[in-house]
Amino acid sequence: MIHIFCALPCEAQPIIQNFKLTELKQFDLFRIYQSKDKEIDLTITGIGKLNAASAVSYHHASLNTKASDIWLNIGVAGHADISIGEARLVNKITEEQTKSCWYPQIIFKAPCDSIALITLDKPSDDYQDALFDMEASGFYQMAIRLGTAELIHSLKIISDNAEQATSTVNADSVKKMMAKHVITIKNILDSLKPITLEIDSIISEPKEYKEFLERWHFTQSERVQLSRLLQQWNLRLPNDEITKHVIENTTGKSVLNVLREKINASEFVIHD
Amino acid sequence: MISTIYIEEEIASHPRTLAILERFPETTKIMCERYGEIFNRKSQNFRLQKKQPALILARKHKSLVLPTPIQYGIGAEHNYYFSHMLNCLYDCRYCFLQGMFQSAHYILFVNYEDFIEDMNSTLNKHNNEPVHFFSGYDCDSLALDPVTDFTNEFLPFFERNPQALLELRTKSTQIRSLLKREPIKNCVIAFSFTPDKIAQALEHKAPDVNKRLQAILDLQEAGWQVGLRFDPLIYTKGFANEYSELFDRIFTKINPELTHSVSLGTFRLPKDYFRKLEKLYPDEKLFASPLTEENNSISYPVEIRDDMLGFCKDIITKHIPSEKFFPCY
Repeated sequence: MIHIFCALPCEAQPIIQNFKLTELKQFDLFRIYQSKDKEIDLTITGIGKLNAASAVSYHHASLNTKASDIWLNIGVAGHADISIGEARLVNKITEEQTKSCWYPQIIFKAPCDSIALITLDKPSDDYQDALFDMEASGFYQMAIRLGTAELIHSLKIISDNAEQATSTVNADSVKKMMAKHVITIKNILDSLKPITLEIDSIISEPKEYKEFLERWHFTQSERVQLSRLLQQWNLRLPNDEITKHVIENTTGKSVLNVLREKINASEFVIHD
Repeated sequence: MISTIYIEEEIASHPRTLAILERFPETTKIMCERYGEIFNRKSQNFRLQKKQPALILARKHKSLVLPTPIQYGIGAEHNYYFSHMLNCLYDCRYCFLQGMFQSAHYILFVNYEDFIEDMNSTLNKHNNEPVHFFSGYDCDSLALDPVTDFTNEFLPFFERNPQALLELRTKSTQIRSLLKREPIKNCVIAFSFTPDKIAQALEHKAPDVNKRLQAILDLQEAGWQVGLRFDPLIYTKGFANEYSELFDRIFTKINPELTHSVSLGTFRLPKDYFRKLEKLYPDEKLFASPLTEENNSISYPVEIRDDMLGFCKDIITKHIPSEKFFPCY
């Protein structure tokens, strides 16, 4: 699943439109939108890092997120001299108030450059050679508790700089800037999706696991052994149908014994 | 190859940092206070990071030179190891680094001068007795040598101190800087080997056996001493044939006079590391090997261990004198 977080409705609107998201009315603390196939959702966090952190937490509790999910904070930001309308991924987030830092791990070929960002408590026109925003640190420090650093990112579109200060930014101009970068968002998601699939393959249980739990009783420690033995079976005896060897057993313990014996008796070849 | 470099503020203006950064003008550079802000933080995935590791330039503050575990050694009483780098360019599935670290990024400690000072103090502690220093426990000693300039910086210390010996443990063919220098007697370039098919299955991104063997021949031709490390020995049905073919290939080609030492040991990992690796690579056949748990360590059952070690020892000791053979059980 893909979870997108925007501070403002005008930042969110082009994304909502493009991915055809509809509001989930049952959630009233933050506005949450979701695609029909439930693969993409978006929460409007409101302004500020506390709102961003609360929204991530609420979103997680409301939609049951997984460790392999993608988390994206998308919004506008200021910078000293990057042109208005350009996009940047964030490679370092510094919270101005606490000086705490986080480093999103960009392990894919990004469609735009990456840069450091400072999360401020108040808007500022005192531009630096880093992006300014007001949400990223709150978003990131909560999302990193729920996902993995390789799949949690902030994408910022430059809305103001030393030549064109915040006073020139309005909802319409933000919508236009965001709409131009829907393609950038899609590119990033296309790069991240294979990573989520890889994590899913790492954390998923062997294919027979659920069936075995339904058929026999296993204690908690036996479940760990079962998972490991099924994995070993699939690697060492991939062409030997497993169920026929254990079907007659009446207890989980005896099933584990049979699996262990058969695996130990099999020849081990490490390469094809 | 390297798309991101993190730089600790403290060593940002260190000459070695500047020299390395000059080699990567297009790379994204990110400043940090300490490498621990990035390396080994929770919620990172070693397997994913291995796809695109960053380089972290840092300063090593303490524990620069450490005693080796008791059973390690190639003939000296005093044995130490040091790691100017953490993590490796290669992706060997049996490697303990995958279990030890959360991050796959390469850390390079640029303060070589502090390592050398620590080595000097260690030497002084042992008066004039031989002391062996091992590099390549937590990284491959040579794989990034063209970037790190490691050998050019450390070898002069050993030239000046003949009672010290340096082992460079490697699978790399990056030997150009060694070939440009006059060989010294107290440096051993120790190459790790597994048979071809096992190497293809487990030693991802590492040079193949033939290339490593050619590197050995080139080094010996130039007068350098080499070591052979058959550690870990990997069990598979028909291991005897595979290993005897490997031994034949190596020992019929190398110069025994310039072969400093041969060591071997079977695959083993601390239990915690093994469990982590098993989760990280659930489809990896190595972790479905016949293995047993003993004293918080995962290794082959004793009968497989004895069988493999006995078989290999018999062949190896036909090719080299027993004083050059160092089993590491």
